[in-house]
Amino acid sequence: MKIGVFICHCGSNIAATVDVKKVAETAGRMAEVVYATDAMYACSEPGQQAIEEAVKKYALSGVVVASCSPRMHEATFRRTVERAGLNRYMFEMANIREHVSWIGRDQGPNTVKAIELVRMAVEKLRLNRALIPRKLPATRRALVIGGGVAGIQASLDCAEAGLEVVLVEREPSIGGKMSKLDKTFPTVDCSSCILGPRMVDVAQHERITLYAYSEIESVSGYVGNFEVVIRKKAAYVDWDKCTGCGLCIEKCPSKKNFDRFNEGLGSAAAINIPFPQAIPKKAVIRAEDCRQFQGKKCGICAKFCPTGAINHEQQDELVTIQVGAIVAATGYDLADWTVYGEYGAGRYADVITSLQYERMLSASGPFGGHIKRPSNGEEPKSVVFIQCVASRDPSIGRPYCSGFCCMYTAKQAIMTRDHIPDSQSYVFYMDIRSPGKGYDEFTRRAQEEYGAQYVRGRVSQVYPRGNKLVVRGADTLLGSQVEVEADLVVLAVGGEGSREAAGLAEKLRISYDSFGFFLEGHPKLKPVETNTAGVFLAGSCQGLKDIPFSVSQGSAAAAKTLALLSRDMLESDPQTAQVDIKRCIGCGKCIQVCPFQAIREADLRGQSKAEVLEAVCQGCGLCNATCPQGAIQLSHFTDNQVLAEVEALLCP
Amino acid sequence: MAVQEELKKIILGLLPQVDCVIGWGPGPDLLCASPYFMRRPEEVDNFLAGPMATQNTALYLPEYKGKKVALVVKGCDSRSVAQLLAEKLIAREEVRIIGFPCAGVADMGKIAARLAPHGEPGEAEKAVYGEKELRITMAGRELVLPLAEIKADKCLRCAHPNAVFSDHFAGEKAAGNDDEFKDLAALETMSLEDRFSFWEKEMSRCVRCYACRNACPLCVCRDHCVASSRDPHWLTQADGVSDKLLFQVTHALHLAGRCTGCGECQRACPAGIPVLLLKRALSRAVEGLFGHSAGLDPETRPPLLTFQVEERTIKEKAW
Amino acid sequence: MSVSSTVSGAAAPELRIVGFLCNWCSYGGADTAGVGRFIQPTDLRIIRLPCSGRTNPLFIAKALLQGADGVLVSGCHPRDCHYAEGNFYARRRLEVFKQLLPVLGVDPRRFEYTWVSASEGQRWQMVVSKFTEQIHSLGPARRLPGAPELEWLRESAG
Repeated sequence: MKIGVFICHCGSNIAATVDVKKVAETAGRMAEVVYATDAMYACSEPGQQAIEEAVKKYALSGVVVASCSPRMHEATFRRTVERAGLNRYMFEMANIREHVSWIGRDQGPNTVKAIELVRMAVEKLRLNRALIPRKLPATRRALVIGGGVAGIQASLDCAEAGLEVVLVEREPSIGGKMSKLDKTFPTVDCSSCILGPRMVDVAQHERITLYAYSEIESVSGYVGNFEVVIRKKAAYVDWDKCTGCGLCIEKCPSKKNFDRFNEGLGSAAAINIPFPQAIPKKAVIRAEDCRQFQGKKCGICAKFCPTGAINHEQQDELVTIQVGAIVAATGYDLADWTVYGEYGAGRYADVITSLQYERMLSASGPFGGHIKRPSNGEEPKSVVFIQCVASRDPSIGRPYCSGFCCMYTAKQAIMTRDHIPDSQSYVFYMDIRSPGKGYDEFTRRAQEEYGAQYVRGRVSQVYPRGNKLVVRGADTLLGSQVEVEADLVVLAVGGEGSREAAGLAEKLRISYDSFGFFLEGHPKLKPVETNTAGVFLAGSCQGLKDIPFSVSQGSAAAAKTLALLSRDMLESDPQTAQVDIKRCIGCGKCIQVCPFQAIREADLRGQSKAEVLEAVCQGCGLCNATCPQGAIQLSHFTDNQVLAEVEALLCP
Repeated sequence: MAVQEELKKIILGLLPQVDCVIGWGPGPDLLCASPYFMRRPEEVDNFLAGPMATQNTALYLPEYKGKKVALVVKGCDSRSVAQLLAEKLIAREEVRIIGFPCAGVADMGKIAARLAPHGEPGEAEKAVYGEKELRITMAGRELVLPLAEIKADKCLRCAHPNAVFSDHFAGEKAAGNDDEFKDLAALETMSLEDRFSFWEKEMSRCVRCYACRNACPLCVCRDHCVASSRDPHWLTQADGVSDKLLFQVTHALHLAGRCTGCGECQRACPAGIPVLLLKRALSRAVEGLFGHSAGLDPETRPPLLTFQVEERTIKEKAW
Repeated sequence: MSVSSTVSGAAAPELRIVGFLCNWCSYGGADTAGVGRFIQPTDLRIIRLPCSGRTNPLFIAKALLQGADGVLVSGCHPRDCHYAEGNFYARRRLEVFKQLLPVLGVDPRRFEYTWVSASEGQRWQMVVSKFTEQIHSLGPARRLPGAPELEWLRESAG
């Protein structure tokens, strides 16, 4: 092998604390190294050109670049050597910036360390071999999970670009949290008015298939070739016949049920269409609320349905689809706010969540758009908003900022004055977080034009006095205790990942954090990708965000999906496990531990052997560490390659 | 011996149904038996069971995969069979297990030491293993060695003298002892420094013959052992203690959660290196962490091939 | 130029510490520490693996028996494994391996395993600093005959 080594100065980032000339000089004497030099910026265009020229001039068969982290530029340099005619895996990187020059001040030890890291890279490279990606056919269809605004945007963008889209929504209607909102900040335009047409577009698009009231049962396969089983939950209504006329709802005798869409404000019939603009506008019977299912003789809905759509015998149905990519857009749920006993959460009728307040404000909500105290139906004159409920509170394990509460609270304060001109709003806040176009101006308007009184401090207690509530808290700016008498207390409850997020993440094999948020591939550079190829993220399932950000991410996830499926054939990463058939004794230990079911037992002339499904293998190497005789080796991270690195540090 | 005769009857009964019955027969001298492969009824006459039956019959099982064999097993041998079954390295329907109560096997090293003043084991003219003692006639003199004094160490701590599972069982089941890992405790009275020196000294006698590996019933890699392969190339051919010890650690780690403690590795070592200790250390670790003893249940998944999301017994370092 | 292999600011010569890090979390965490300029002792040399589950305990055995003074394995936090389950297997295998060390006469504190996420630059700095300190307090490991001394490396580094 003829190896070329390039030591990068990275301007002064490396050269300030590493003697790069000396590293290059020492590298020149390493085994099979025929050319070693230093470069000001190896990743720059001239830097890359110099590498290409050296490969040709010295007939190099492998290249080591010592510079920044391979997580930063490995892909860059692999393309460089590929342009120079080498296989892209005949390349190794030594991380002498993040792991050397940036963490050690002294040039002496830094230089020694850099030399050793280069030696490790050279020793590993000597055992590298060319790896050729395999081509796989891809299904040009995308699955979008979750029909909130992010999922709707992703679906429409994909469909507009020509992809088939399957949109799965667990609720009876798409629309998500946005469909529950009355107005949106900072423009105070009507949420339904801007979302409704998009929902209709989804319903009418020839390339979008909508499965509402459905969930993901299982996911198998891999990028380009996922097989997904969808569970269509029994609505007990034949949706092909249901026209959404609503007669059944009117006639249903079981009316005092928890109203999910209205967050428990008001009540719902056992057979219901969640809201007037629902897409699809189809009725669903909740078995737990329905008299028929409780053994009482009823069936009134069936009697009155003009199209004979009611079917109490209906069963869940499983549908299997093939897709090439998956966008998870499962949104968020409100965190458990009942843990705040001091706010009277769950105890006092007039302490409500901001999402309940939205339903109150909404003209199509249970109160017809009138703000009323749930306790007595009176119009409140004094409304207190408490910010950061279940946000920024390490004491209940919610250290993060939910991001959107400051803004919607400002909006709700504005709306309160709009609805009840002689009302006074108070906002208890920790900090006002309003970075965004027109956002800070908006919070100022709430205070300056709409007279909302902002009190900086946390609330210690809410308790009843007469038929009012007393909100006691600290004003940290004045350094004094404050008490406000309130008719209504609105808690700005923060969010967390959707309750079913963990289960879905397991099915999708993507990572999730302890708050139920899915983990993106890279916090900055791969914000909508996941570490599972072909699975993308959009909206609040990745972390809480407001509508414009959710829509942007929906479009971003669609762009990633489209880029992936713009080709008929996909390339699979060749860094997969390989079985040495001669060494394999067919004990099946690798099959037992593989997290991806990527290894199966195959029969070779009567002998049992392990066989790797290359397209399924993700390259973790667990099998490699499990196989006692080393018969299964992870390409590019074989035992010998790792041992070569170890030995480079230990043995002459 | 009544049990031996009962075993012969069982073997004769099974012979027509299997390709081979593996037990013990006449060995290199009168003191020690050899593995014995019986195919014809007349061969059964020479079958032996008792303290001379030191070898683990399970060693040969994987080679017989695809054929039907019956196996006479001591308690320790049966655990190897159970472990091979748990790892699906052999098929249950292909093996018939014949158990008997094992009173412990003789340690040939201990016997040789006792005989040393009088002669070599091969010079014994007559040897009879009784209930409590071994009677050896050598140069016309009879020597009596109490069994308790010549029993293998592993038998002194054996918790499972009877086959842990069997299709046939001859005789009455015997009682076992508790294994408290006293062998490790003895090593651990030494300082870390001394233990390191101990291994350095012991391994310096290693001749890399791999008898330890070849005697191990769970070393199923056989011809594909990493000790002698280039890809992967774990060990050099250098004649240093460091590679020799690394091989022992490799053997032990490959057996972690699998080793049943049959001790064949140590018995086979021509240099008398206590190589079983390393495996015992891992068995103790696995037992302590996961409550698992290998080779007791053919149905259990080996603990290192599975996991729990919350590992209550693992105390991670708090930084 | 003379190469004095010293820990930054201290007079103690460097010891040989090998790290096996998963690419997705801990290697990223070490990068994050670098980006944050979190100064660390320089003894550690990092080998990048796809997953802590790729860590065959024999890599560690090899290192410790053949010349390393300390070995550190770091992966994704349990439940955050890029490959869903790799670190769960690693945890069992590494813990069992750690318990073998005292029987070999190797101080078990020469080997530690832990979890550091890609965002935990400060945690990485803390882990490296404390582990390096721990190895220095134990001093250089004894070498078996046949195991190379570190000196040749320093010499070959010129």
